[in-house]
Amino acid sequence: MRATFSRILTEAAQHDERVLLLTGDHGYALFDEFRKNCPGQYINCGVAEQNMVGVAAGLAKAGFRPVVYGLAAFVPMRVLEQIKIDVCYEELPVVFVGDGAGVVYAQLGTSHQCTEDVAALRAVPNIGIVSPADRFELQYCWKHLLQNKGAGYLRFGKADGGDVHAAIPDAPVGDLLQARPGKEDWAIIATGSMVVAACRLSAALGGAPVWSAPVLHPINRAQVESIGRAFSGIFVVEEHSAAGGLGGLVAEIVAETGGCRVIRFGTRQFSEFCGDYKYLLSQHGLDDGTLLAGMTSAMAHEAP
Amino acid sequence: MAFAGSTVHIGCALSIIEIVAVLYRSHLNLGDRTPRAAGRDYLVLSKGHGVMAQYACLHELGWLTDADLDRYFSNGTRMKGLSDAHVPGLEVTSGSLGHGLPVATGLALGAQRLKSGQRVFCVVGDGEMNEGAMWEALLFAGQFRLDNLVVIVDENRFQAMGTTQEVISLGSLHAKFAAFDYDVLSVDGHDEKALDAALDDLMARRNGRPKAIVAATVKGRGVSFMENNNVWHYTRLTKETFDAALAEVEGR
Repeated sequence: MRATFSRILTEAAQHDERVLLLTGDHGYALFDEFRKNCPGQYINCGVAEQNMVGVAAGLAKAGFRPVVYGLAAFVPMRVLEQIKIDVCYEELPVVFVGDGAGVVYAQLGTSHQCTEDVAALRAVPNIGIVSPADRFELQYCWKHLLQNKGAGYLRFGKADGGDVHAAIPDAPVGDLLQARPGKEDWAIIATGSMVVAACRLSAALGGAPVWSAPVLHPINRAQVESIGRAFSGIFVVEEHSAAGGLGGLVAEIVAETGGCRVIRFGTRQFSEFCGDYKYLLSQHGLDDGTLLAGMTSAMAHEAP
Repeated sequence: MAFAGSTVHIGCALSIIEIVAVLYRSHLNLGDRTPRAAGRDYLVLSKGHGVMAQYACLHELGWLTDADLDRYFSNGTRMKGLSDAHVPGLEVTSGSLGHGLPVATGLALGAQRLKSGQRVFCVVGDGEMNEGAMWEALLFAGQFRLDNLVVIVDENRFQAMGTTQEVISLGSLHAKFAAFDYDVLSVDGHDEKALDAALDDLMARRNGRPKAIVAATVKGRGVSFMENNNVWHYTRLTKETFDAALAEVEGR
């Protein structure tokens, strides 16, 4: 997925000289291909993220198509106000890439982890939010980000979980993509890194269907509504806060349209201890065992 | 405008009126003299609180009408209390401080890359220099050799809650710009001839160094009871104070 990102970013810059890559002194190795092929379009803004977003806004006003790269903990979290005022209010075509979203930088601790970016940006008008699960969804999302007239945010999380799809999805922007067919009366909707986990859990649950949500905004509300009507319940799984992310989004739509129960699985606290990625997922209850127990328990009990 | 809208921040506008007037009159290339003219020079008001001074200039240019000024601050108009990029002629949405200069820096970098010859004049407040993003932008402009960027500091020595000395002392801004390797001049910010001369001098130096003017100003300039009296950061005009202020300004 990272190799794919490096390739499609380089291709975008080669295809359109207005595309500029701005980085806050991050992206070691990731941008080797870009810097080799498009050295003039690479701008290291230094460890100064607020200024970087202002510069991107100015460049966009001057006709360029900036891609602003940082760790998700900094882009968008540190620069939320710059994204809101300098970019989104003017509907400028700036693409933000937040790398290491979720708890990817596990052992580095709270400063480098990011489980609140989607919640923060969902409240800001004029910015699309995408969260691809594999290299094929990444290319599907990327096409929409570049074609979009306004701003977009690419949530780049754990990227080595393997492929979910066999090819680049051919679907309208905002659709949920079926990752596993199924016939159970509970469905799973997941995004980003957790789609692979959801597919593993599907079988353990007796064949629950799984949808991946690569585009969180604008999402196909009618499709979420119809899933909410077709099933007894929906499990939403994400490597993001259970408050305000995909789980919140699905719960809002389903509640507003009179659908089924929605059970959210996401983070709820800061990571207390040091540990590797797998350890941290288990600390947040996002390991397969804890998720399966939670889902099985919910399915066994009637709604209160 | 200030009286019609019963607005705040009068002192902030009065301290920069000569600066923006001189820029519009003699320095900004306005292209075809429409607000969004291609190839125009940019006047970026980073200290958005002074927006009434810029509105007055846009009115002189014919881009705002008498009715626009009378409806400043009122329901349903775009004439908000702080600089807003949706108003034709205003380049940025500011007033949340520390935003305009980074955007101005991006505009200057864009002009440099396009070799368009466009220049960017960014008016910032001295109180605004508390913001860390300002110093990020100053370093960036130096690194990228943006000699088409002129930072003009409205050094009125006040910020919202007191003097800059009392709140966060800035020391010598001139020395700080010099230490950042800027071409910097200090002038009387109410002396139009001095401002003209400083701008001409700096713009003639296309040497890879960003430019700065530290303009010594008086908050509330031109109205004796407002000058250096920080209550006019927030105080609204009454009929009596409006008439008294108008008599003084028109008597000058």
